[in-house]
Amino acid sequence: MGECAGNPHPAAVAAGEPEHGGQQGAPAARLLSVENLSTAFDTEDGPVTVVDQVSFEIDAGETLGLVGESGCGKSVTALSIMGLLPRPAGSIVGGRILFRGEDLGAAEALRLQQVRGNRIAMIFQEPMTALNPVQRIGRQLAEAYTLHAPGTGRNEAKGRALELLDQVGIPAAERRLTEYPHQLSGGMRQRVMIAMALASRPDLLIADEPTTALDVTIQAQILELLRDLQRETGMAILFITHDLGVIAELCSRVVVMYAGRIAEQASAPALFANPRHPYTRGLLRSVPRLEDDPKTVLSTIPGTVPDIHELPTGCRFANRCPHAEGVCRNRAPGLEDTPVPEGQTSTHRVACHRWRAVEAV
Amino acid sequence: MTSYFIRRFLLIVPTFIGVTILVFAVTRLVPGGPIERMLQEAAMAGSDVAASTSGFAGHGASSLSDAQIDQLKAYYGFDKPVIVGYAEWLGKVVRLDLGTSTRYSEPVWDTIKDRFPISIFYGITTLILTYSVCIPLGIVKAIRHKTTFDNLTSAVVFFGYAIPGYVVAIALLTVFAGNLGWFPLSGFVSDDFDDLGTLGKAADVAYHAVLPLIAYLAGSFAVTTMLMKNSLMDNLAAEYVRTAIAKGMAFRRAVFAHAFRNSLVPIATSFGNNITLIVTGSFLIEQIFNIDGFGLLGWESLVERDYPVVMGILVISSILFMVGNILSDICVAFVDPRVKFGSGESSQ
Repeated sequence: MGECAGNPHPAAVAAGEPEHGGQQGAPAARLLSVENLSTAFDTEDGPVTVVDQVSFEIDAGETLGLVGESGCGKSVTALSIMGLLPRPAGSIVGGRILFRGEDLGAAEALRLQQVRGNRIAMIFQEPMTALNPVQRIGRQLAEAYTLHAPGTGRNEAKGRALELLDQVGIPAAERRLTEYPHQLSGGMRQRVMIAMALASRPDLLIADEPTTALDVTIQAQILELLRDLQRETGMAILFITHDLGVIAELCSRVVVMYAGRIAEQASAPALFANPRHPYTRGLLRSVPRLEDDPKTVLSTIPGTVPDIHELPTGCRFANRCPHAEGVCRNRAPGLEDTPVPEGQTSTHRVACHRWRAVEAV
Repeated sequence: MTSYFIRRFLLIVPTFIGVTILVFAVTRLVPGGPIERMLQEAAMAGSDVAASTSGFAGHGASSLSDAQIDQLKAYYGFDKPVIVGYAEWLGKVVRLDLGTSTRYSEPVWDTIKDRFPISIFYGITTLILTYSVCIPLGIVKAIRHKTTFDNLTSAVVFFGYAIPGYVVAIALLTVFAGNLGWFPLSGFVSDDFDDLGTLGKAADVAYHAVLPLIAYLAGSFAVTTMLMKNSLMDNLAAEYVRTAIAKGMAFRRAVFAHAFRNSLVPIATSFGNNITLIVTGSFLIEQIFNIDGFGLLGWESLVERDYPVVMGILVISSILFMVGNILSDICVAFVDPRVKFGSGESSQ
């Protein structure tokens, strides 16, 4: 699972020497590579591995979608990368998080502070609670900037804050600076969060379900904003969501997680055209489609996610999988490369013993 | 917001009338008024004591005729119906006249005024000590939640909270003043206070204040400390603190730059009421240490049926209490910009 760099991915080969970072002339330089990341939480019933041997890469400027249902470990993966796991309960118990070749999992607290908000920024699901309710927007924005540019004058910081609000499309920016978060709508607050994240022009933006708490029209606006900003700044985005529609709209590659492990990883077009993991197939089938007859019963995945305290030894999806047989219950499947159509460079990996049989159905 | 506070201030008037009329009526209804008290005291203790207690009961208290008693009642206004009596009393209060103490035969205001320095001294000292201990302690306990330090300090503050102040007072008095003789047994200052220099006076007051202050403070740390701790912990777990750290801020800095002010909101809701501590004070502790503060005055005037003083204390404490409530609201509005009074909505 961990030897992802050895696959025929030109970008991966180019970024084989992490020291080269983004400066290499390769079409897409490796920005972040998560290798066999395992994160565990101490609970009253003992330690629980929430993220288990997760590996993926993000190249400069690309958008990777991390998709899965609630509790599958996608947010914890993001928090692990940021070093924001709740202490002391959560901790990284294995693997590496290489950002431009530097292992963030082993980095000192001070070094992490330099990276956070500066090279890697993050926005969260709940814009209602993610801003400090008793501080003016302007101050919170300026802070995001001055933290990484110490010695910045008050006026310069304010100017930068104005610029950022303009950039994320907030009208009457001057007045907004003096307002408090409760005076802004949810969509506006998420824009402020995005503006804060952009303050130091990060290389990577981690967006943890940034549109989940917003209504649909605002969702579309925020997605559009993210896409525009990415085009402007060239930052990479790790987009975490449970919404396949959002993935289709925004992401070039997708990682599907299930119960703490990666189930499938592919380019977005390949995943939607040719899902190989039974879980991905189930997910895609349970999305309502406009061309369906009205009131068609939605297809669902039977059963429930296994209890995190009693994970099966074999494939974690086996108890819900229509294709499961003996081997699935006894041995956990590794992530294996599957063939991709001629001319495609992106890999398509799946963690399923029976993906060939599944595909034949 | 201004109109809200104006309305709140205007509401003091009817509330004040409601409180005072109730207590005034009670003083009239309960058996045994100040005159009966004087007569009884005079009868029991003989004319010497009676003379020193009250100049009016002085000449032959036990042999007062009914006519004389009626005269006395008329003098104190007890012959009139409650409402009339109350109206007269209120009329005087409006002119800042609280009446005359039946016990001391001096203006109530003078009696009360004498107690101010002592009560204000103890009130403000306990206030400052309480907040300057509780807030830092709460912060450290929140950051070091469930460590030995946290558990140990919790045990200490709850131990103090669980023991009544007067028990602490007696224990301290017995051990440190009685047995060891380190501190004076009673009083606010020494007898030779007036002969001391400024520094000597300050030292003398402090010397007398040590034991009573400990008795006052022993139980006062628990509530504010735990309020501060829990409130800060809630805020440390809040998402905006995570946002601050995600921006690249150090955790410790985020505690003070972001979580601290938010966690002061519940503390601010009670802050204004501290103004009432000028006229409060435990009469038991004051009794034990023989401190002439408000607690003792209130209790004595009730026992002695010195109703003008009782009403006078009520006037001052009820007004302070109501003003304190408004001050608390102002404090909250000051700390939390989401609080908007007056429009009837506080957006969340």
